[in-house]
Amino acid sequence: MTATDLLQAWLALEHEAVWLYPVIGARRADLVDRATTSFEAHRDTRDALQARLRSAGVEPVPGKLSYNVGTVTTSGEAMAAAQTVEADISAVCLALTGVVEGDARRYAIRHLTRAALAEITWGATPRAFPGLP
Amino acid sequence: MISRRVLLGTGVVVVGAGGLITAAQLTHRLDDIADAVGLDPKPLPDPDDTRILRRAAADTARLLATVEATAALHASVDLTAVVSIIHEQLAAVGGATAPPADAPPADAPPADAEAALRALEDILGASAADRSIDAQRAGSPALVRVLASMSAGHAQSARLARRLR
Repeated sequence: MTATDLLQAWLALEHEAVWLYPVIGARRADLVDRATTSFEAHRDTRDALQARLRSAGVEPVPGKLSYNVGTVTTSGEAMAAAQTVEADISAVCLALTGVVEGDARRYAIRHLTRAALAEITWGATPRAFPGLP
Repeated sequence: MISRRVLLGTGVVVVGAGGLITAAQLTHRLDDIADAVGLDPKPLPDPDDTRILRRAAADTARLLATVEATAALHASVDLTAVVSIIHEQLAAVGGATAPPADAPPADAPPADAEAALRALEDILGASAADRSIDAQRAGSPALVRVLASMSAGHAQSARLARRLR
């Protein structure tokens, strides 16, 4: 995949995260603070990725109306859904690190770490190699 | 995306009887990885990558020594996951489980458990930063990804150490 393909894949996941966290916050009062923090972080990243793509002359992929993330009724289901989207973002950021250089690579590494830490925030177990399935 | 088996299982995992892998071995291993991830033509062997990988291995061996010393001194603190993670990372960069003979000895962990965990969090955070810098400087895409992922893994371990305080 090219850097543009990976940036678009990453943006698609950011759209999903921006959709998911308000759902979690609305359904789980015990997770609303965490969901709000995550929503704001992903909204900012989504906006930054859209700006990056547009500045490169690429039309950013749009978000979907809804996403199939399974049920998020219980705390466990909500945490699992959040872990999944963060792990997917870790994976795409890791893939991106290998095909870009300079500032773009620094950006991908920073967001790989951010997503890996978000996995932990949402209850995942630490891993030796976040981003690798 | 890239599978763990492809990225780690094909080459970098080399623990020779003599400890760190040689530059020649490394070159072949990185070529193997390049084949595995479909890089064609393969990048020219980069001597800087050899230095980066050796440094990562030596640093990770020292980190493992520190984590194991902390775990031994503070048996009531469960550092099993961190020890396991650092072991796995060290194997992936081909490092020996003991630090190089000429490496300075690791500082003894503080006797107070909370201080020891704070020190561990600091060293894990510093290691995360070092591997991030290495990933920015590396040439081989496979090595970039291994180092970047290690950096994120160290950051996760640092977070775990903080939670254990």
